[in-house]
Amino acid sequence: MLDRAAVGRTTPPTLNEVERGAIRRFAEALGDYNPIYFDAEYARASGFSNVAAPPSFPISFAAGSDLRELVGVPSRNLLLGEVSFEYERPIVAGDRLLVTSRVAEISDRAGPAGRVEVAVVEDEGRDEEGQMVFRARRSYVVRATRES
Amino acid sequence: MPPRKLYFENVRVGDELPAMAKSPIDRVQLARYAAATNDYNPLHVDEVAARAIGMPSVVSPATLGLGFLGQLVTDWARGGQVKRASARFTRMLWPQDTLVCKGRVSDRWGEGGRYFVELDVWAENQKGELVVRGNVTLKVFYSFEDETRFRTGQPPLIVNVQRQSILAQPPAPPPARAATRGKVSAARPPARTSKPARAAKKPAKAARKPAKPAKKPAKPAKKPAKASKPAKKKK
Repeated sequence: MLDRAAVGRTTPPTLNEVERGAIRRFAEALGDYNPIYFDAEYARASGFSNVAAPPSFPISFAAGSDLRELVGVPSRNLLLGEVSFEYERPIVAGDRLLVTSRVAEISDRAGPAGRVEVAVVEDEGRDEEGQMVFRARRSYVVRATRES
Repeated sequence: MPPRKLYFENVRVGDELPAMAKSPIDRVQLARYAAATNDYNPLHVDEVAARAIGMPSVVSPATLGLGFLGQLVTDWARGGQVKRASARFTRMLWPQDTLVCKGRVSDRWGEGGRYFVELDVWAENQKGELVVRGNVTLKVFYSFEDETRFRTGQPPLIVNVQRQSILAQPPAPPPARAATRGKVSAARPPARTSKPARAAKKPAKAARKPAKPAKKPAKPAKKPAKASKPAKKKK
């Protein structure tokens, strides 16, 4: 069961240093060898200020937020249904981002197999001057568990 | 070699992105992705734990498919910047699934010297089933000249281009569509006749929305929507 009182619960800002190696490993894990993720000079010629992070890179920040602590259900019982990102500017190597996560919504929805519980978590990442860099929104549904 | 760029002036609504086939997802990739995202959820990496809760095997994180769509877009966009990306996961992703990623330009617009391209993107598995679909908004330069101006600190090239979504066209009932094509929305209030024939995406959506709540009790999606449209225009 999701914690109904979780709405508004916010994590303290976590510092995420965007390392070049982390970008490289993320891109390699996707099998994406676009030089903008590996070669700073190529990235600059493409309009980025340094090696760029792939669009879904903020996924790797989310691990900082423990879902069980946030919504009361551990991540193995949650299925990611939707996700969205908004960027004020591209994330690049060398960024130091302070990321916070906030529970935006806990609700019930009609699903194909009866009602499902839904939790929406919103993340935002700011640079150290406080400028917004990205926002993300993750919607989870609670998996039906056999044990219950 | 300097990167080739994607410019607004070369993009048309309806353009298709070259389909991109990925290698089958395997457990090594899942392990690498777990490390890269620092997410060691046992469902993705621990076969024994996954079976213990009744799964046939480990399951891939849904976001891996999103990452593939990111690759599709970034390869095509060549220097364009992703401003917005959203995705909906419609089916579980399993080891050995082989995804093909596809996309299409759904809209483009320019205002105040900023240029945007909107894409519909999706991925299908080896059975042709949709596993993820989404939308991406890219920011691009209008042209090489526009980019050069930016790089040399000059004001941008300003070409105002209205949204011209192809999505706005299919929902329109055929007669209305013909009317729109022939003459600029003859059925609409006179104040609007100066507007271009192509329905702008956002306004069209906004216009449809008010009609919906009124029809809500009736429920069925398509017919009432069609019925409500001409009714609205008669006003």
